[in-house]
Amino acid sequence: MKPNPHSCGRFPRRTFLADVGMGFAGLTLGSMFWRDGLTRASGGEGQSIHLPPDGKPLFAPKAKSVIWIFLSGGYSHLETFDPKPALNDHAGKSFDKTPFENPVAGQKHKARFRSVPADSINVRDVYPLIYPMQVGWKQHGRCGIGITDWWPRLARHVDDIAWVRNMWTTDNDHWAENQIHTGRHRLDETQPSLGAWVHYGLGSLNDNLPSFVTLGVPKSHTTSEIDHAYYLGPQHGGVPLAIDPKNPLPFGSRFEGVSAGEQAGEFELIGKLNQLAAVEYPDDHRLRARIRAYELAFRMQAAVPEAMQFPGEPEHIRRQYGLDQEQTKVAGERLLCARRLVERGVRFVLAYPSGLSAWDSHQKLKDNHEKLCANVDLPVAGLLQDLKQRGLMEEVLVVFCTEFGRTPGLEERGGGKTGRDHHPHGFTIWFAGAGIKGGTIHGETDELGYHALGEGHYITDIHATVLHLLGLDSRRLEIPGRKRLDIDHGQPIREILS
Amino acid sequence: MKSIPAIFAVMGFLAEPVAAEAEIYGRDIKPLLQARCYACHGALKQKAGLRLDTGEAIRRGSKNGLILATNDPASSSLLLRVGSTDRDQRMPPDGEPLTPGQIQMLQSWIARGAPSPVDEKPEPDPSEHWAFRPVKRPKVPLIEVSEKNLPTSNPIDAFIAKEFEGRGLVPQPESRRDLLLRRVYLDLIGLPPSRDELHAFLADTAPDAYERVVERLLESPRHGERWARHWMDIWRYADWYGRRHVPDVWNSAPQVWRWREWIVRAINSDKGYDRMLVEMLAADEAAPEDEQARPATGYLVRNWYALNPNQWMRDVVEHTGKAFMGLTFNCAHCHDHKYDPISHRDYFQFRAFFEPIQVRQDRFPGESDPGPFQKYEYSANRKVVTQGVVSVFDENPAAKTFIYLRGDERTFPEGKPAVNPAMPSFLGGHLLRMEPLALPPPAFYPGVRPPIRQTMLEEHVRAKEAARRDFDAVSVKYVEARSVFMSQKETNNLSSLGKVLAEILATEVDWRNASNKLAVANAAHSSLQARMAADDARYGHSSRPNSGGTHNGKPYALKGTPDQGSSSSPADPALSAEESASRAERELLLRQAQAQFTLADGKLSLLEAEHSLSRARWNVDGASKHKEESDKADAAVKKARDSLATARKSIESAEAALLTNSRSYASLTPVYPSTTTGRRLALATWLTRPDHPLTARVAVNHIWNRHFHAPLVASVFDFGRNGAKPTHSELLDWLAAEFMDHGWSMKHLHRIIVTSRAYRRSSASPAEVSESASCLDVASESSSAAPGRTSEIGSNQERDPENRYLWRMNSGQMEAEVLRDSLLHLAGELDVTPVDYPLPTKDAESSRRRSLYFECFPEPGGHSQFASAFDPPEPMECYRRTSSIMPQQALAMSNSRLAREQSRTLSKKLASSLGDADSSAAASFVTLAFEHLLSRPPSSEESVACQNFLQKAFANPPETASIPVKNDPPSDSGSFARAHASLVHALINHNDFVTIR
Repeated sequence: MKPNPHSCGRFPRRTFLADVGMGFAGLTLGSMFWRDGLTRASGGEGQSIHLPPDGKPLFAPKAKSVIWIFLSGGYSHLETFDPKPALNDHAGKSFDKTPFENPVAGQKHKARFRSVPADSINVRDVYPLIYPMQVGWKQHGRCGIGITDWWPRLARHVDDIAWVRNMWTTDNDHWAENQIHTGRHRLDETQPSLGAWVHYGLGSLNDNLPSFVTLGVPKSHTTSEIDHAYYLGPQHGGVPLAIDPKNPLPFGSRFEGVSAGEQAGEFELIGKLNQLAAVEYPDDHRLRARIRAYELAFRMQAAVPEAMQFPGEPEHIRRQYGLDQEQTKVAGERLLCARRLVERGVRFVLAYPSGLSAWDSHQKLKDNHEKLCANVDLPVAGLLQDLKQRGLMEEVLVVFCTEFGRTPGLEERGGGKTGRDHHPHGFTIWFAGAGIKGGTIHGETDELGYHALGEGHYITDIHATVLHLLGLDSRRLEIPGRKRLDIDHGQPIREILS
Repeated sequence: MKSIPAIFAVMGFLAEPVAAEAEIYGRDIKPLLQARCYACHGALKQKAGLRLDTGEAIRRGSKNGLILATNDPASSSLLLRVGSTDRDQRMPPDGEPLTPGQIQMLQSWIARGAPSPVDEKPEPDPSEHWAFRPVKRPKVPLIEVSEKNLPTSNPIDAFIAKEFEGRGLVPQPESRRDLLLRRVYLDLIGLPPSRDELHAFLADTAPDAYERVVERLLESPRHGERWARHWMDIWRYADWYGRRHVPDVWNSAPQVWRWREWIVRAINSDKGYDRMLVEMLAADEAAPEDEQARPATGYLVRNWYALNPNQWMRDVVEHTGKAFMGLTFNCAHCHDHKYDPISHRDYFQFRAFFEPIQVRQDRFPGESDPGPFQKYEYSANRKVVTQGVVSVFDENPAAKTFIYLRGDERTFPEGKPAVNPAMPSFLGGHLLRMEPLALPPPAFYPGVRPPIRQTMLEEHVRAKEAARRDFDAVSVKYVEARSVFMSQKETNNLSSLGKVLAEILATEVDWRNASNKLAVANAAHSSLQARMAADDARYGHSSRPNSGGTHNGKPYALKGTPDQGSSSSPADPALSAEESASRAERELLLRQAQAQFTLADGKLSLLEAEHSLSRARWNVDGASKHKEESDKADAAVKKARDSLATARKSIESAEAALLTNSRSYASLTPVYPSTTTGRRLALATWLTRPDHPLTARVAVNHIWNRHFHAPLVASVFDFGRNGAKPTHSELLDWLAAEFMDHGWSMKHLHRIIVTSRAYRRSSASPAEVSESASCLDVASESSSAAPGRTSEIGSNQERDPENRYLWRMNSGQMEAEVLRDSLLHLAGELDVTPVDYPLPTKDAESSRRRSLYFECFPEPGGHSQFASAFDPPEPMECYRRTSSIMPQQALAMSNSRLAREQSRTLSKKLASSLGDADSSAAASFVTLAFEHLLSRPPSSEESVACQNFLQKAFANPPETASIPVKNDPPSDSGSFARAHASLVHALINHNDFVTIR
């Protein structure tokens, strides 16, 4: 037999990595290994030549990884981070009876939003009776941001946070939850989610963990696309991990009755047989990728539970995330877990601290938000504190968002008297951590909190900001034959960058 | 120092100015213009009379004058326009502006006099594009026979061999027969051969042994299941979804599985692809009375969307364009297409074919009535209706299609008229013929279909029988109650007598109700029969309507439908039948009113009795409890009196109605429009014309892709000008012509493809073949590569590393479905009973049914967890499956219940076939397992490795309890069984298991 330079698994590491990145099949492993922070040799930011990603950022990144905290259902910007005293001053009046411009008269109201149901069957209405704020508010920090009293712990971190108060989206129903992750309205062809783009562009920092992880994402039609890689290929999709020692990832634990030794023996035999096949098929890239995949899988079985369980976390950390209290435990576990994952090299963690549509307060907004804020405030503040004390604020970007805001008017549907409806015209999100200028208050809504003023930011500006900080440019990740639109790419929100 | 070569490269033009300048145009300028400008200033369009597709045309300028100023480049209008900050002036108007670097590049090119090659050709006319010209059967090239002992008659091989010439490619010899058998099994039926089948094949030395296997596989019912899944990918099969967790049906329909069933049946019976398209787009128009064909329009139903009819239309246009024509019509949703001559208007003209459609829901014979289809409605949940048949019909022939702007249906340009259905002329749209069709009554009125009538009659007879049984039972009770009364009358025990009297009263009420129910059931049956008789008269027995469809039943005439009301004379015999139907229906109404009255009356008397009793009790003891009871009873009595009054009124009006004369009666089922626009039939007929340039080419490309794991045209849904060029354009055309000339028979195409030499080639690289491991197949000559060839074949990989020219077979990877089915099949566990309503994905690991029959939808849970790891079909768009390699797959194969259980079952099966253990048992077991799982014997190294594994496992039994498996208690043969299972488990994880070599 002819000596073969590639036989018996003696492939040089670099060659192997280059090999497996080839071809239509989308072998993911080639792009898994950016560790050294080298930027790609050619091109600077803004250049528009297509290069398939090789796992390296396109220009110097500010952030290594992202924790994306998503509050499902649409929190009220008015009762959280964009308080509007005018609502109290004019409570009970209709919009046209205030000294301000009537937000629902004129073109602006129709300009941005687009209802999924056909006009003929749409039931959502304009609610013109001003509903007062359901909670008090104060200014905090050096930046002087006004936030409501339901966020006492987060209030201590306001100078680490950049607030964007002029967000808008186009769907007035909960499909906006998918939309904020894919950038596309329900009625338009969908796109890969942001996490998938990050995974596609950068790969992982840790071979033994999935690179795009979701935590606590409920199953629903409104979440069906948030971890979806669509045409990038399923290997770039989000992997749901669970804080469940028995089954932290799908098929991640040995089948009942199989001993560790037994399984290790099997993996060893599989490896040996596949290596023998590699002698037989020396130019089979897919075979070599599979050998690698089995090695990773075996290690993943140990690495995932290690990351997902935290008996070793000291008591003060557990308290900091609220693990000791019933009301903060769920959110706290997920956020602590998120920190452990990014610490171990996961690129993109999408965490749901509360349940599906939990913040969707058509009625009893006060009770709903007061309770949910109490669930989330402490763990989120704990996360920021923790990242700071570990020096991770320089590496990790935190995004805190929801699918849309809530109406300044009282929702009267079904005789309601205590809530607000969905509101795509203006809402607030925030960023913190790597590359973010803390204490920035960017953008505003009108006096009644209705419209995002100026150009505002469509949700893909969040994507552009995240990708920019990671050293990526979505225009240069584009796949030939999959034309994206300008609005899909968005623009980084430069005002909030450090 | 590293940067010096780079500088030389950039400054290269200084060294060789003349050559480099033209190169710069070709290398930098032209691609930029092509990407950003040609759409409006090229062959497709010449806005402002300007073309930019040759240097000469650029220098010529637009109708407004020159666009270049070589003496003062910066003042060139080309540069002014691309550099403008005014959005109305800037070019290109869409997308990002050109970068300063790109503008600088243009400027320095202009400064040099805008040089370009002299022989530069403009963009060809779009209609010249290869895929837009009709298919002409190319001549089969004459190729010297270069491979011994192989059939040469297959034209596929001639076309492929032609491409080897001049490229220095030397084809691989035929594959080992064992691997070939596995390949063709997995390809045609989605299941590997069993070890017995393998040995039978290897022992068959007849020259047509392989061909006979192919025939057998093509005739297997498993073939339809295998290939149905491929087409379901392309046609976006999805079970209902929208809000699964509620549940609330927003997309597709729960009964859409009947379309899947139709696909399997169509493939197994080798229905022509042309006919399949016709039925999927227009079964209601093409075969209005063929109830087997009706579910085919599930293709259109799948795109239905509860919240927005525009979305339905968008999906239908996009995917009919992509799946059938390989064109991205969807790009023209917002603007004229940038690459193909498809205008914004063409998009809407395409949509107009579908504008009149709506979904209908028919009863399936023998099943209960699902009721009419629930239409667009926002606030009501749409129930998961599992009964019935859903299909498409033209509900509103007058529906208009308006062009809207920027992809937003709320934005209409003022005063533009509606567009009519039409296809663009570059595709031969002028050949499309369209006319409205009259439908036969069974097509628009399911109520006249004999099986539906039969079902309804049986239903009524059953109701009558049940009513009769109830009545008889109640009668017996009534008689008993009376006899008890008679026997106790003498006892003078007043309290027990009161009880008995109450009992009598209650049974009497029951008896009257039962009697009425029986009367109602009889009347309903009579009414049904009368309505059927009237229907017979109305939809009569004279001449056939002028319909384009096939007609299997007896002829019906159009004499006006119930909703049309004609003015025929009373002498018309039809009228009397209608009159009696009308009368029977009113009699039924009277019966029902009477029954209602009896019910109310009986209830009242019971309540009155109760009331007197409670008042009596109150009178006796004055307890407040009894007072409350009495008041309550009083209120109830009053309410019952009101009901009785209402019932009395109903009787009165029913009686009055009986006195009138009427011909109107309720139809047995919904009645749909009796005519249809014929638009979809026209579209489908046009699509399947032999001179349509795309339909056959796109289909054969899809088929080829699934045999060879790579298509001939890489952009499988885009054959337009921006798509890929075919690797073998003549072969593609020959296949398309062959396909059409053989009645669009897919089996014919499969047969010629899988019997080609190209398909039968080894997938190994040359070195691999010459070093081939021991082969079961001693008779085969394939393992001995022709000597003297090695010097050349070593370069195949260098000359064509991606195997574009098919000098070897591509290896493939089992899809999720094939993997699961194969595991079950090899373990002898696969249950091949077809399944109608889809099985829940959560059962995929425990169920033994074929994977095809599990639910599939684009929402969480739309694939089983196991399938999710193996690139399952994406129901939103899956023209080509991805085939990834991920660690999650290794975990699923290692840790899933499916893999573990099947390994165990399999290993037991194998061990039992070995008989008593002897010294060679380990080696025999290993060989057996390899042959059964991988269809090949182990190499000696493999065998040794596996035997060592077994011995080690025997010697060191695992510390934990053995694997508990459902329906299969752990056996006590102990570590042997366990080691065997472990080995089998390792082998299903072998790369060669999931790989199709």
